[in-house]
Amino acid sequence: MKPAPFEYLRAATLEEAVAALSASDGAAKLVAGGQSLIPMLNFRLVDAPLFVDINGIQGLSGITENENGGLRIGALTRHFELETSHLVRDHYPVINEAMKYVAHLAIRNRGTIGGSLSHADPAAELPAISVLLDAEIIAIGQEGERRIAAGDFFEAPLTTSLRATEIVTAVELPGLPIGTGWGFEEFSQRRGDYAVAGVAATMTKDDGDLTDVRIAVFGAHGTPLRAHRAEQAMRERGITAAAEALRLEIDPSDDLRGSADYRRHLAGVLCKRALDAATERAA
Amino acid sequence: MTEKVSISITVNGTQHCVEVEPRLLLADFIRENLDLTGTHVGCEHGICGACTILINGDSVRSCLTLAVQADGAEIETVESLGDAEELGPLQQAFRDHHALQCGFCTPGMLMTATDMLRKYPLESDDDIRDGLSGNICRCTGYQHIVAAVRAARDERDRG
Amino acid sequence: MSPPDDVNLTRPQFVGAKVARREDPRLLSGAGSYVADIKRHGMLHMAFRRSDHAHAAISAIDIEQARTLKGVIAVYTGEDIAALVNPYQATSRMKNYQATFIPPLAVGKVRYVGEAVVAVVAESRYVAEDALALIDINYEPLKVLVDPEESLKPGAPKLHDDLESNILAEREFARGEVDQAFGDAAATVGGKFHFTRTTPVTIEARAAIAEYDKGAQSLTLHCTTQIPGILRDKLSEIFDLPGSRIRVIAPDVGGGFGGKTSLYSEEIVACAVSRALSKPIKWVSDRMEDLMTTGHAFDEIVYADIAVADDGAILGLRANVIGDVGAYSIYPWTATIEPVQVVSFMPGPYRIQNYSARVRSVATNKTLTGAYRGVGRPISVFVMDRLLDMAARKIGMDPVEIRRRNLVNDDEFPYKAASGLVWDKSAFQACLREAAAGIDYDDLRRDQEIARSQGRWVGIGVASYAELTGVGSRIAVAPGMPINTGTETCNVAIDSTGAVTASFGIASQGQGMETTLAQVVAQELGVKVEDVNIILGDTSAVSHGTGTYASRGAVFGGGAGTLAAKAVREKIVRVAGHLLEAAEEDIETGDGNVWVKGTDRAMAVRDLARALYSDMGRVPKEMRDEIDNLEATKVYDPFYGTTTAATHICRIEIDPETYEVDIDKYIVVEDCGQVINPMIADGQAHGGVAQGIGVALMEEVIHDDSGQVLTASLVDYLVPSAVEVPSIDVVHVEAELPDTIGGFRGLGEGGTIGAPACVSNAISDALSPLGIEIMEIPATPERIFRLIDAVAP
Repeated sequence: MKPAPFEYLRAATLEEAVAALSASDGAAKLVAGGQSLIPMLNFRLVDAPLFVDINGIQGLSGITENENGGLRIGALTRHFELETSHLVRDHYPVINEAMKYVAHLAIRNRGTIGGSLSHADPAAELPAISVLLDAEIIAIGQEGERRIAAGDFFEAPLTTSLRATEIVTAVELPGLPIGTGWGFEEFSQRRGDYAVAGVAATMTKDDGDLTDVRIAVFGAHGTPLRAHRAEQAMRERGITAAAEALRLEIDPSDDLRGSADYRRHLAGVLCKRALDAATERAA
Repeated sequence: MTEKVSISITVNGTQHCVEVEPRLLLADFIRENLDLTGTHVGCEHGICGACTILINGDSVRSCLTLAVQADGAEIETVESLGDAEELGPLQQAFRDHHALQCGFCTPGMLMTATDMLRKYPLESDDDIRDGLSGNICRCTGYQHIVAAVRAARDERDRG
Repeated sequence: MSPPDDVNLTRPQFVGAKVARREDPRLLSGAGSYVADIKRHGMLHMAFRRSDHAHAAISAIDIEQARTLKGVIAVYTGEDIAALVNPYQATSRMKNYQATFIPPLAVGKVRYVGEAVVAVVAESRYVAEDALALIDINYEPLKVLVDPEESLKPGAPKLHDDLESNILAEREFARGEVDQAFGDAAATVGGKFHFTRTTPVTIEARAAIAEYDKGAQSLTLHCTTQIPGILRDKLSEIFDLPGSRIRVIAPDVGGGFGGKTSLYSEEIVACAVSRALSKPIKWVSDRMEDLMTTGHAFDEIVYADIAVADDGAILGLRANVIGDVGAYSIYPWTATIEPVQVVSFMPGPYRIQNYSARVRSVATNKTLTGAYRGVGRPISVFVMDRLLDMAARKIGMDPVEIRRRNLVNDDEFPYKAASGLVWDKSAFQACLREAAAGIDYDDLRRDQEIARSQGRWVGIGVASYAELTGVGSRIAVAPGMPINTGTETCNVAIDSTGAVTASFGIASQGQGMETTLAQVVAQELGVKVEDVNIILGDTSAVSHGTGTYASRGAVFGGGAGTLAAKAVREKIVRVAGHLLEAAEEDIETGDGNVWVKGTDRAMAVRDLARALYSDMGRVPKEMRDEIDNLEATKVYDPFYGTTTAATHICRIEIDPETYEVDIDKYIVVEDCGQVINPMIADGQAHGGVAQGIGVALMEEVIHDDSGQVLTASLVDYLVPSAVEVPSIDVVHVEAELPDTIGGFRGLGEGGTIGAPACVSNAISDALSPLGIEIMEIPATPERIFRLIDAVAP
């Protein structure tokens, strides 16, 4: 299990990285944390003539507050920083919770948010968080910078709307209203494994009425999914109806981790639990 | 054959300036090029944790890192914790609690535990087990490893 | 010479003491020497192109591109290797057994996915893998047999043309009046049980370095094996070399669990290629290879039922076992070892006299199954103890109570089980009693009632078992096998510097035998533990030895070590009697010294050795003619072996929505005789239970209909982490010691034997209000979901 030969470029700037991707006609691949890519290299499931390493590019890492009350998270920000960041904890405790489910410390030390989104594993936490929080994914390519709504970013398992020559540089998250409640539920048979299913939810209350209900599901659909019908059911008819709506809204597949039927069942269970927690926390 | 790349890596305090193939895994670089065979290779896909080392103080899977990516980095391996004639405190805790049997997962366990003990309070056994969950041990059933890390935590908390 | 202090103290008791392991300093500091760590001058690296078909004829192999790749030294096909080795197979004297030849590289046909087809030798593993990708193999697919119940049918396509059928072994027997027992029963229960296929997953995968020395015409194989002696003996035949010119060394080995107790193709190919090229050849299995080729475990379908009286007494038992043994009959254990052991041990520690059984070992297009921790007995205990719980439920009896009523009682030993096995006295009843007391069983049942009333799914599981350990020459480990598994050898030698070396034919894969055997030898000899050097896993150390398997290390190693140390001590005493001018019966040894009891006349053993070997004239010639060295070689044969018994009890809770199983309490109470080192004994139980929990809850090798292995990575083959394994209480009951030397019983496998049944019983107990019984494991959330879905209103 050793990688096939490849050329390697440690890019110093985004321009250099984009130019290298463009020059290869999209055959070159990016490497950031490498925690999903390098296993595939070792299994020789991924092959490319050139790997462009962006770890050395300055300014791609870090978490800052943005003008719309949210956060801007640089693409090279490691999972461990998300897990422990006070800014993240203050703005999005749901991310903080989600990070506890992301693999293990050694992976979180190395893995990046940009890599996780670009890899687009439908069972991963951060892609689901990005659709939950209406993130904008900022990418740079030959034609310059582009902002892609998370809802438009994930197209299929391991497939995004990113062009082969584009690089995710940051994620912008809009601020959440004060008093937003949240819930995050994930099930895997072994600690740290990819989710068999998971559900994240946020909501706010206005005079007891629910506003801004958001539900995102992962592991139980071909992409991370904002479950709009479940959200509507939640607003109109409550938690049980939302969980039932979610079961109908997703299209899970069979694999070794679980059958489609079990995943559908599980998504409903986790939806109920996430909404319970979010309702409890919403002010 | 692809172009070799020059890198400079400091391992356990010694700097190495070498040329390597880009595809060379850091685990293989450490074991084959530097003869530091304490770092073990158990799965080469990031699940077992046997190859865990520290890069700039953070625990990392050396099978999921290319040697070229560690250019300029400071690396610590199990050999940095103490030697057979004078074990370091964490190694000694493992010995005192019989936290190893075959010893193959042990270097990765030790490096993971080193990072955990620096980063997390590890208040409960559940926290310790959670922290160790990325390192597979097939011999011990983990119980004595948990006990060893618990003892190391107590030692840490005593200052 | 001044007398040592404390010479009049009694000899220290090393056996039974918590002695820190001597292996630890090197293993903790990265200074161990595993096979993959070893480098040799001019060493080349080997990799294998493996079959991606489960069953196919090989019509063409094109290796030209691979051969000419820069850095590639040689490429070998099955025919090339066949010309370099003598063919071999695992024979057996058992009736109705068919052996298969096992080609080191496939010749003409492939029979499972992962079977080695072409070997590439290159300057690095990286280049060797590059070359693998350049090999072109044409296959003509044949019908794939993945279901053993299809494979055993008359008319099924045969895996091996020269055999009569795919049934590699078959045995039937009946004792007592089984049908009448079922007719008389107050209740009968039974069904189809499925114990799926698992794989050992040692964290160190298999590896080998073969070095052929052309000058000496000798072969050295460093290998991750548990059975260096068996390998040496077979390689002698395969390569027509005398054993004196073959040395097999198992250095530090990273876990075995039975997976490293077989002779593997890669080892033979490495030796053949090293001999052909006169170069050291290194092969290190990657994890994908390991999951596809290391001997798989278990994989049985069992149709079984049991008849009980209304007082819970077991009246009769019937079992029909179909073992899926994969494509070949593995060397040396044969295709019989796993399935036959299932029926041999099915009656377990219970009084059952009416028993009939049939067992068939059936070839399929899958990886060979071999020995894995527990061998057969995890299945027999799973089936038997599941049946007991099902019966108890039917007659309204508590699971502990039904076991108490059926376990062999203390006054009934030796007890001949219906399958013919004989149990020597072991604490069957005491283990059950102490386990129930230790886990507060009655309180758990009360708590369970409360939990149930709150809608929680809490279950309590019990499993009792007995195993034969340290089995001597009375019974071969696998039926009819032509290898002597009944003896082991130890040489104890004190050299002219006074240093003590004890050499064994067994090997260590993490069991701490450098420590426990030093404890045993030091105690017998009267020296310090740290002064005894232990040599293991090296065929040059003793003339005959087989290795470490079948829970035999402590019994055989401890026994042979004791005998050899005792013989050397007798020599010490003779020489000391002369040197200290005392009668031999007045001489005592201890702590590295010899002294005359009740006096201050003493000397160090080291000085005694110098006196004998080096100080000319100190010991008269007449005495040296009789005692010319301080050395002895002894062989130990425990003949019948001994019975290790245990009861496991656990409590689990199932999430009634996600169906996740959480094990919250676990106790093991075992009678393993004299404990040599309690810390190590506990560690063996912990590790064994953890593997058994894996088997019960998550581990499963899965093939699709075309025979592809879907679990070829540790992402898909789930091994438990620290989170899924609970804290385990281990209690060693102090019972009457067995007749083995030192009173040792084996304990390496026990945890894995009891845990699958114990956990399955607990899950079934939790689900009993729904009428669900666990008949197939692992009991994954997915399987529990389907069981619940099937009974849902």
